[in-house]
Amino acid sequence: MIPVYICDDEQAISERLKKIISDQIMILDGDMGPVRVADAPAKLLKLQRQDTVPAIYFLDIDFPRQISGLALAQELRRYDPRGFIVFITAHGDLAFETFRLRLEALDYIVKGDYNAMSVRVRDCLVSIQERLRNEPSGQGRYCTLKLFDTVRHIPVEDILYFEALGYKHTLRLHLVNELLEFNSSLDHFAEQLGEGFWRCHRGFLVNREHIRAVYMKEQLVELDTGEKCPLSRKAKAAVREFK
Amino acid sequence: MSLGFRLSVVIIVFILIGLAMFWLSVGIVGKKARIRPIVIYAVCSGVSYLLSMFLSMWLFGENTVFADYFNVLYSLVCYTIEALALGMVIWKCYDTPLVQGVTASMLSHFIIYTADNVVEQAAATYSPLFDRKYFYTFITIVIPKLWAFFIAFAAAYVLRKSGFYRYFASLFSSRLRTVLLMAVSFLLMFVWEIIDYFYPNAEPNALYAVFFFSLIAVVLLWVQFMAMYTAGQEKIHIQEETISQQRAHMELLEELQQEIRAFRHDVTNLFSGLTLQAQEGDLDGIQEFMRKTSSYFDEKLGNEIKQMDCLNNIRIYPIRSLLTTKLAAMRQKHMQGVLEVLYPVRESQMMETADMLRGLGILIDNAMEAVPEKDGQIRLVMLQEERELYIAVANNYEAEPDLNALSEKGYTTKGSGHGTGLSSYRKILSRYPGFVARTYLKDGFFVQELRMPMRTA
Repeated sequence: MIPVYICDDEQAISERLKKIISDQIMILDGDMGPVRVADAPAKLLKLQRQDTVPAIYFLDIDFPRQISGLALAQELRRYDPRGFIVFITAHGDLAFETFRLRLEALDYIVKGDYNAMSVRVRDCLVSIQERLRNEPSGQGRYCTLKLFDTVRHIPVEDILYFEALGYKHTLRLHLVNELLEFNSSLDHFAEQLGEGFWRCHRGFLVNREHIRAVYMKEQLVELDTGEKCPLSRKAKAAVREFK
Repeated sequence: MSLGFRLSVVIIVFILIGLAMFWLSVGIVGKKARIRPIVIYAVCSGVSYLLSMFLSMWLFGENTVFADYFNVLYSLVCYTIEALALGMVIWKCYDTPLVQGVTASMLSHFIIYTADNVVEQAAATYSPLFDRKYFYTFITIVIPKLWAFFIAFAAAYVLRKSGFYRYFASLFSSRLRTVLLMAVSFLLMFVWEIIDYFYPNAEPNALYAVFFFSLIAVVLLWVQFMAMYTAGQEKIHIQEETISQQRAHMELLEELQQEIRAFRHDVTNLFSGLTLQAQEGDLDGIQEFMRKTSSYFDEKLGNEIKQMDCLNNIRIYPIRSLLTTKLAAMRQKHMQGVLEVLYPVRESQMMETADMLRGLGILIDNAMEAVPEKDGQIRLVMLQEERELYIAVANNYEAEPDLNALSEKGYTTKGSGHGTGLSSYRKILSRYPGFVARTYLKDGFFVQELRMPMRTA
């Protein structure tokens, strides 16, 4: 069961939303619930720690005299990086791109008409269900990455390879559909990830699961995405020995 | 004279000239002399001196056809290598472009050697013949070097304090200017050798000294004038750019005004209808009307006002102008551009504004090139947080970009000539530690993210 939280300081709204969400979960027969309501950010943060993650959050954008919805979401993300965040707003003019890109928020719901709200909630829940189904079971291993004060957990199977860039200890991490550049060292990840990864070159650390072929003559390692990494002489010797 | 004395004179001369060269060149490029580069330079120049000595011995030794020109060729090789070495040290240690470092070292070579030579020849001619050679040596060799050292030191100080480097750097703004300046500096470096070659027996006198000091003055003035001229041109260029950016801003305001006018017109009409309904007591009609018009204002004016608010939140003015122009350009090309800046962005990020400007410009240009012909959408997000500045540029696309090809040099979907942008973007980033750059695809958008650490106060 995936817990669902609602955080809004207007009781009318949160009650209405609670009803809509409960109804929709029933209709969709989703593996979600219970639905809990918190009327202040601090309460929500306390509630969050008492149950499992990932969770689904419906958050108000602004709380008068308290932290903003943005800060609240950031705080929630710290504990639940994979949770689903949906914002509730009084008017359509919120800066949703910021929320979507920075916080990976799922969607937003405009307060108002009951029917319009339930359609929107339904869409959100359907898309969450879909995402959960497509997601790996969560049994896989994760690679933890600390960037500034946020921690990111990357499923190991999504990692293709690490590449050391020539300057100032910069690494480029090649993921399925993503490139990430940051300051770190290959040695650090070689140690963290252990056996599943192969240092095929001084500047490359490749996920063994994604290797399609090793070309000894051309000194290349081909991945299943068609990308190629260089193969060092030392690594080549190791391959020979292995044979 | 004893060997010890000779050696110590040679060492003193080397140290004085080396220091003077270093000081002046660094002063020309507007930097402060530091110990580490000086040591590196000392090693480099020692090595390069030996190298050039052997090289020229071997190349134009006594038995070759060049033997007659040994002196000239020797200094040609020697000086060039010396200037290159110093230029490279400055390039590596102070992060200024190589051509600037080399030119600076050639110019300082000219200034120092001229100062030294003139005084030395004057001393050799006018000083009385002493019985003791030590004293004579001191006057004809050490004093001129000291004088050159002093000149270099003073010039470097003045150049650095007066911000000469700004002008100097703008001299390298075009290729032609760079080549011209380097050629002139190169010739100046050999001016003494050239004169020696053509007039080997020239007698030094007052006229001669005047000639050379005026040559220094003319060269300095010429460089200064050229530099100021180009800097002026640049200033005009920047002003023109600012004007065009202001114009874009004005257009946005005008558009807003037009819409407010239309809106006012609509509202008057709508309300007269509403009054009628109210008079008739048609409550359902009024509710219907409210439902219809509640989002009307947002739709009509919301976007423009929001965009203005966001722009006003950017307190780094060059960045604000850049975004204003880019948003205007997007409107012109019928792309939907959305900018979101929730909190004020101030100039306290680690990156220098000029680099940020270039980097952001590259990202936006790329996004504008990549969107489909119809219904192009671009989203720009800047979010100021406590410890970082978050920037994201997202665009929709026609063909899904190949992320892994993207990391290669010069990737582009637009044929040759494009795609140099990303590699220079990477180059900019590589200069700053602690940056996180992320490129990914999400919900039909291609997103470039940049998170830069804030300067800790």
